[in-house]
Amino acid sequence: MVSKKLTIVNAQGFHMRPASTFATAMGKYACDVTIKHNGNDVNAKSLMNIIAACIKCGNEIEIVADGADEAAALDEAVKMVESGFGE
Amino acid sequence: MLKGIAASEGIGIGKVMIIEETSLDYTPKTVTDTAAELERYKDAVEKFCAETEEQAKALRKSTGDKEAEILMGHIQMIKDPFMGGSIENLIESGQCAEAALDQQCNMFIDMFSQVEDEMTQQRAADVKDIKAAMLAILLGVKVVKISDAPKGTVLVAKEVTPSMTAGINKENIVGIITETGSQTSHSAILARALEIPAVLSVENSTTTLSSGEQVIVDGSAGEVMTAPSEDQINEYSAKRDAFLREKRELENYRGKKTVSASGDEYELFCNIGTPKDAAKAMEADGEGVGLFRTEFLFMDRNALPTEDEQFEAYKQAALVLKGKGLIIRTLDIGGDKEIPYLGLEKEENPFMGFRAIRYCLKNRDLFKSQIKAILRASAFGDIRIMFPLITAVEELRAGKELVEEAKSDLRASKIEFDENIKVGVMTETAASGVIAHMLAKEADFFSIGTNDLTGYTMAADRGNGDVAYLYSPFQPSVLMMIRRIIKCANEAGIPVGMCGEAAANPMMIPLLISFGLTEFSVSAPSVLKVRKNISKWTKEEADKVAETVMAMSTEAEIVDYLKGIV
Repeated sequence: MVSKKLTIVNAQGFHMRPASTFATAMGKYACDVTIKHNGNDVNAKSLMNIIAACIKCGNEIEIVADGADEAAALDEAVKMVESGFGE
Repeated sequence: MLKGIAASEGIGIGKVMIIEETSLDYTPKTVTDTAAELERYKDAVEKFCAETEEQAKALRKSTGDKEAEILMGHIQMIKDPFMGGSIENLIESGQCAEAALDQQCNMFIDMFSQVEDEMTQQRAADVKDIKAAMLAILLGVKVVKISDAPKGTVLVAKEVTPSMTAGINKENIVGIITETGSQTSHSAILARALEIPAVLSVENSTTTLSSGEQVIVDGSAGEVMTAPSEDQINEYSAKRDAFLREKRELENYRGKKTVSASGDEYELFCNIGTPKDAAKAMEADGEGVGLFRTEFLFMDRNALPTEDEQFEAYKQAALVLKGKGLIIRTLDIGGDKEIPYLGLEKEENPFMGFRAIRYCLKNRDLFKSQIKAILRASAFGDIRIMFPLITAVEELRAGKELVEEAKSDLRASKIEFDENIKVGVMTETAASGVIAHMLAKEADFFSIGTNDLTGYTMAADRGNGDVAYLYSPFQPSVLMMIRRIIKCANEAGIPVGMCGEAAANPMMIPLLISFGLTEFSVSAPSVLKVRKNISKWTKEEADKVAETVMAMSTEAEIVDYLKGIV
């Protein structure tokens, strides 16, 4: 299991577009990917779950990947969040 | 030419798009061949995805990638392991595809709409869209998408429902025609808010008009011209330009005080339904809020809003208003509204039944938590409390007692609030009009709700076409009621406003000036027009008009006369 703590930097947080690209990207990995936010575990492969979590700019999250390709998954996840989803 | 009700001013020239009413009702059934049902569901999903991709492609061309990606998100939503997966599980357990979809979508709609974040709430609208489109596919019903309407479209529908609102693009829709509705129906309010010309109650318009034909919508006169000649098109184009020019002229009244020609100053407030509308009221140059309806906090959810949640909403509106007046009306609901968790029973005659202040006084915990939330918010602005549907002095007293109780609770918890908060009465029943002199002694202000006052005084339902002719604020009985309420307030030295539609009516304005109204509360788009109209009258001229009108004994005479002078 690998994990990293991050802060959301794009102004609108995890709204539809970033949540959608993020969930699609994570869906490609075999490992479980979880976003820890506000005491909740959010399934990073589920767009609906991410939206319901209402993760906003400035929020602290922790991304946890657990499984065969965990390192690659975490790496991509961190890059996406840190780049502000290219916004 | 087709006649209807002039519901939203302006002229629109364009091509008809008929919005057929599609029923998405179905009878839930238990399925034995779950494999076949699952197949049917999966086929529908495929079809949905293909359709959505097509739309996204079109959107990418017209508005760009970002918007298209939101639409593509719909595909991901339906295929989401959490949503799609649960739907499939429900089908495997024997539910039909429609019911499984409905149940799962509703869960997410509820979940998203309860989050206090606009972005997330918008996602609830996405799930609603997905649900409607999927149900249409499963049921084999065709749905016309309003959002796809090209530039220069005139929408024609039985009525404009709230769910259609999301799809209406102001740039593309030049007019609205409906078969039902009145000046005060949802369709009318919506059309005015969007500043789209609208003619309502045009009988059989969805069948007599056909998609693609050219029409002229005259929302000021309440007329629809079919198969217009070139001359007519030129004539109405000129009218449209004149209308838009006048609208620009109104801008001269922005930032000015509201003063009559004889120098009397009035308060010009707005009616709002959500904290967000407070910003619109400010943009429209409103001088405050004369009616903040609080029902939005209680509708479309499964449990009561907490005191904190209400406090945040009221505080938000107060902060936006930056110290300007904010009259908050306490909960005004009854058996005609579907709020299951309130346990309101369906009753024969909800408008005369257990509603508004009557319900609140019987449900003291609910009422007190709303009052406490309002009091807490009063530390952040000039907030006043207004009780709806008062018919007896005891109701006002009981309400005020509860306010005092709430105050002492807050004092004990050392929470700040406005000790001198004003508590007023929404005078909207015939009873409150008759006992206005008694109420005026114990209330800090009055606000006349003309819509209900007209209905209750005339005993006429505005939604019933057969009796709608009685429903007019220009009925002598209603005018006498209004005059009486204002007079009693003036004599008691308390402010008196009007927050019904009539306050913005140019024919009503001279009467209200003469009677002695002190505050007008209107919809945001009417602010500048009302300010202009008030500026035209001196007290003396208004008195003459009122004297003539009050000597007349029929509504027709009064309306005829007033039409002639404004």
